[in-house]
Amino acid sequence: MPGVEEYVRLAQERGGRWVVHGDTVHLVVDPSDLRPIADKIFNEYGACFRTCVGTDERPLNNHFSITHLFTDDRSGLYIALKSYLDPENPVAPSIADVVPAADWCELEAWDMLGIRFEGRRLERLVLPYWWPEGVHPLRKEFDYKSRPDVSLARSERVTLRKEVGTVPLGPYHPALHEPEYFELYVKGERVVDVRYRGFHVHRGIEKLAESRMNYQQVNFLAERICGICGFEHSTCYALAVEKAAGVDVPERAQFIRSIVLEVERLHSHLLLLGVAFHLLGYDAGFMHMWRVRERTMVLAEMLTGSRKTYGINLVGGVRRDINEEKKSKVLSELGELVKDFKRVVEIAVSAPNVKRRLTGTGLLPKEDARRLGVEGPVARGSGIDKDARRDLPYAAYKYASFRVPVYTEGDNMARVLVRVEEVFESVSIIEQLLDKLPKGPIMAEKVEIPPGRVGVQVVEAPRGGDVHYVLTGDGRPYRWRVRAPTYANIPALKVMLRDQRLADAPITIASIDPCFSCTDRVVVVRDDGVVERLEVGASW
Amino acid sequence: MVRVLKPVELIVVASEKGRVTVKYPYQEPLVTSDFRGAIRIDASKCIGCGACVKACPPNALELLESPERLVIRYFVGRCIFCWRCVDVCPVKAVVGTREFELATDRVEDLFNYTVHRRAECRECGSGFATRRMVEYVTEKSAVSEYYANECPECRKAKILNAVARRRGGV
Ligand code: SF4
Ligand code: SF4
Repeated sequence: MPGVEEYVRLAQERGGRWVVHGDTVHLVVDPSDLRPIADKIFNEYGACFRTCVGTDERPLNNHFSITHLFTDDRSGLYIALKSYLDPENPVAPSIADVVPAADWCELEAWDMLGIRFEGRRLERLVLPYWWPEGVHPLRKEFDYKSRPDVSLARSERVTLRKEVGTVPLGPYHPALHEPEYFELYVKGERVVDVRYRGFHVHRGIEKLAESRMNYQQVNFLAERICGICGFEHSTCYALAVEKAAGVDVPERAQFIRSIVLEVERLHSHLLLLGVAFHLLGYDAGFMHMWRVRERTMVLAEMLTGSRKTYGINLVGGVRRDINEEKKSKVLSELGELVKDFKRVVEIAVSAPNVKRRLTGTGLLPKEDARRLGVEGPVARGSGIDKDARRDLPYAAYKYASFRVPVYTEGDNMARVLVRVEEVFESVSIIEQLLDKLPKGPIMAEKVEIPPGRVGVQVVEAPRGGDVHYVLTGDGRPYRWRVRAPTYANIPALKVMLRDQRLADAPITIASIDPCFSCTDRVVVVRDDGVVERLEVGASW
Repeated sequence: MVRVLKPVELIVVASEKGRVTVKYPYQEPLVTSDFRGAIRIDASKCIGCGACVKACPPNALELLESPERLVIRYFVGRCIFCWRCVDVCPVKAVVGTREFELATDRVEDLFNYTVHRRAECRECGSGFATRRMVEYVTEKSAVSEYYANECPECRKAKILNAVARRRGGV
């Protein structure tokens, strides 16, 4: 098991620089060394690739930079592998061939910052195709309020493949009511290949935070990244800033964070289980799952003032305390919830149509899961034993004991069962933490955030690891990079959908519990079978 | 046999639990006492300091400034019900409510204005800060009255003059 020395040596051997800051090993190497080092960290040391971050550091040191973020879950280390790139012509070698999980984040850095990656095909991922060439919104000279001139509506012919049939799945998911677009190529009833077009609207949240918010306001923006796991994002952001600045957060605040995080996991898992039953045509199970879920929503409102767990995180602590009265209310409510849930879920999972449709469908083999760096229940359903709550402990998780359920089947059933078990674990974590809740303040006395510091944090959201990277600046983050777990899980759908029956596609897509960001688009299927995507590119 | 019949047990659960939906909007309450809703600014207390505007994450509170007036504009359509403004107001003029049923067919209903008159500078007569704010500062510390009635420009000019004089200038 490699430790700090092994990682430091990687930079040392090649004449790079390194700094160890808390649980994070920062390595700065020459761009030409990125690929071999990343290869070694990912394939030899078995570390987990989380994301990469491109940064326009020209105003600071006249360079662009690219940072690959890994975590070594066995030794609890974060590894930030960084290279500075030329300011005029930023080029970095692509690591996507040795670290397939880096595929999307490289494309994103190309779109948003114009960092060119050598040795791979570069294409638009995040920006819409009508966005003008050479305009990279995360470059510092790009004003967050400026809007490029574009024509109003154009359509894009997506495909005209003769040898197979094309089934457009989207622009709305049949059950999740969120826009995403899958194109399934079918031969008869079998899916032979899949294409995904996402990022239908990119909200520019990172740019907004880097341009006009202050440190505390960003918490409220971070929450709005997701309509379900918002608290995970604000916690992850706050922890990253606190790590960067060395803010001393009171224990009680950390306990409250963990408690609310678990409430959030409960409502998220119950939601997905309901949706899964709905997709399988078992609406009675869906209704009852959501009836049970309502209890968690009321808990969330009691603990945070909002059914959506919004509004209580700040850098330095939390804004709402848990008093004795609330504590006993939560405990009695949880007791009821567990009984209710156990009964309903046992019945629902034993329903023959549910069982048959979940078992053996949407297979994701373990090796593919590792290569693609999938997260959360998707990883744990494919035999990968990882959970940031246990491996990279944050907030108050080190004070609770819990099991991390792992299934090796890799099918839709495995992912559902992982979530079912996690519901029981979450309830137990909340009970343990409430029991041990220490006394004291809930907000740090002093929150000072010096510029130029880096904080990286992973928080285990219901869907997997959230990653937030913060480079502190003057009054606000200079660079704030967010990666939600669905970002890592969607590429795995290609594997899961292939060679499956078409009818199972909706449940397989839902089994990663995806979170897409939203806007309208239209897909037009013409008589001759041509699929066209119509995009309304605004001329604002 | 027992396993085959298992799914049927849901009927038992359903009959035990009965109806769980409420007859909204005829049945109160839909939110609990812990809910954070829209906010209200008590115009008789507000001093126009702008602390709430600065804290507000989504710009639901805005400062509209002119030489005569300073206005705090609250647009509930943008408000995320976070109550940061409630936390930071030095005179507790912002109160959080449990209101959330805000739909209307008149957009003006979504705006609320708290209007302040400017304080007049004792030296140059131009408007600065707000009258209330000057009163507030004076109340807190009687010593400051002399300075509080001057606009920042005149204060700056005076200090510069004083420094220049000490250096043996005019
Ligand atoms: S509650 Fe929050 S969003 Fe609404 S006005 Fe106050 S600070 Fe702004
Ligand atoms: S913080 Fe309070 S006193 Fe100051 S402007 Fe806002 S409402 Fe008025």
